[in-house]
Amino acid sequence: MGMAEVGEKDLVTPGEVLGKASELIPGRGAYVAPHNNTVYASLTGRRVIIPPSLGSPDQRPVVEVTGHKAHGAVPEPGSIVIARVTKVMARLASADILCVGSKSVREKFTGIIRQQDVRATEIDKVDMHSSFRPGDIVKAVVLSLGDARAYYLSTAKNELGVVSAESTAGATMVPISWTEMQCPLTGQIEQRKVAKIGPSQSSNQA
Amino acid sequence: MAGATGATPTTYSPSPVSKTIKRPIFSELDWVRPDGRAFHQCRPAFLKTGAVNAAAGSAYAEFGNTKVIVSVFGPRESKKAMMYSDIGRLNCNVSYTTFAMPVRGQGSDHQEFSSMLHKALEGAIILESFPKTTVDVFALVMESGGSDLPVVISCASLALADAGIMMSDLVAAASVSCLGTNLLIDPICEEESYQDGSLMITCMPSRNEVTQLSVTGEWSTAKVHEAMELCLDACSKLGKIMRSCLKEAASASQE
Repeated sequence: MGMAEVGEKDLVTPGEVLGKASELIPGRGAYVAPHNNTVYASLTGRRVIIPPSLGSPDQRPVVEVTGHKAHGAVPEPGSIVIARVTKVMARLASADILCVGSKSVREKFTGIIRQQDVRATEIDKVDMHSSFRPGDIVKAVVLSLGDARAYYLSTAKNELGVVSAESTAGATMVPISWTEMQCPLTGQIEQRKVAKIGPSQSSNQA
Repeated sequence: MAGATGATPTTYSPSPVSKTIKRPIFSELDWVRPDGRAFHQCRPAFLKTGAVNAAAGSAYAEFGNTKVIVSVFGPRESKKAMMYSDIGRLNCNVSYTTFAMPVRGQGSDHQEFSSMLHKALEGAIILESFPKTTVDVFALVMESGGSDLPVVISCASLALADAGIMMSDLVAAASVSCLGTNLLIDPICEEESYQDGSLMITCMPSRNEVTQLSVTGEWSTAKVHEAMELCLDACSKLGKIMRSCLKEAASASQE
């Protein structure tokens, strides 16, 4: 519902006027200058006008500037990220953020997963070493911008946690439950906070 | 220098310098521009984005003999030592290559130009759109043919737009030199060495706002007005050229 209405192939550059604030709401790539109530573009790209959803109090269409190039991915609160664990300590694990959403970052960002953010239940009894090991690839959600040094990440959901890990023998482990993964070469079981991979399309296996 | 041994001199007199002596300004004759331009004519501008693959955004500008390349990296993680900030940071660096000046010398980092570039750009970038991270702008002047800083500023703003950093508007810059009673726009190296004063304006053309104004030398009010009008006019024309350069690059990459 609400297909985006593409304006004629007009490219806009930063600073170009897109319309008046009384007629348009600025979306991504646009902003309102308060002193003259005009909506300007802030990125280079195509102007896209999204009609307002029915029933919303504000009936002005949203104008966005999309396509061409937006700056490289930057972690934002609420976005799902893929990170590689670098350090595991008693109360937190440090990870390098590699992808934000589906885009990879150009240069890594640092994130930390605190003990209370590893899972949703029994958060004071979490053992960091049974949840993550250095080198694991985890899927996490960005809680907040954190402090000067790192973003705060959380794996406290079923679908978040370790996605891929290597066993001590060097093989990629197979998840067997939400706390354990098994090495296919040696059969050894190792403890991790495993992410539940969502149901695949052919999920009608009895 | 004769002086009593062991006694420090009470006055300081600089030793005679035998470098190039500035020739007196011709007030009667009119200056003829070496490259044949009129006084109020700018050099033709060549601008191109996407020159550097490794950078998030980049631009190359050639205004006559002034050749500048600017790379933009970011937004990327700030150094660990920096304090937390809920708006983004801008870090600028302008350096000259060893072969940029007519006399080949040491490539140098221009601290002054770096901070002027920072002041010119920070008014235009929407820093709130990338909190906690840093955008690095590195400008390299490959050949210095006069009017370096305005070219660096315009090129840097193009590189930032190419990198997809959110900006309120593009930033265009122009400078005017005062030689006697004449005002010359977009001076070259030789004209800059004879100038009595210079005025540089960086402005955001479509919003008609000035982000930086720098004046050196002696100016009367009327002259300042005239020079500002010249510069603003040149900036708006340069702004149009910059926009068409960006649009060309965007439509070329779409196909």
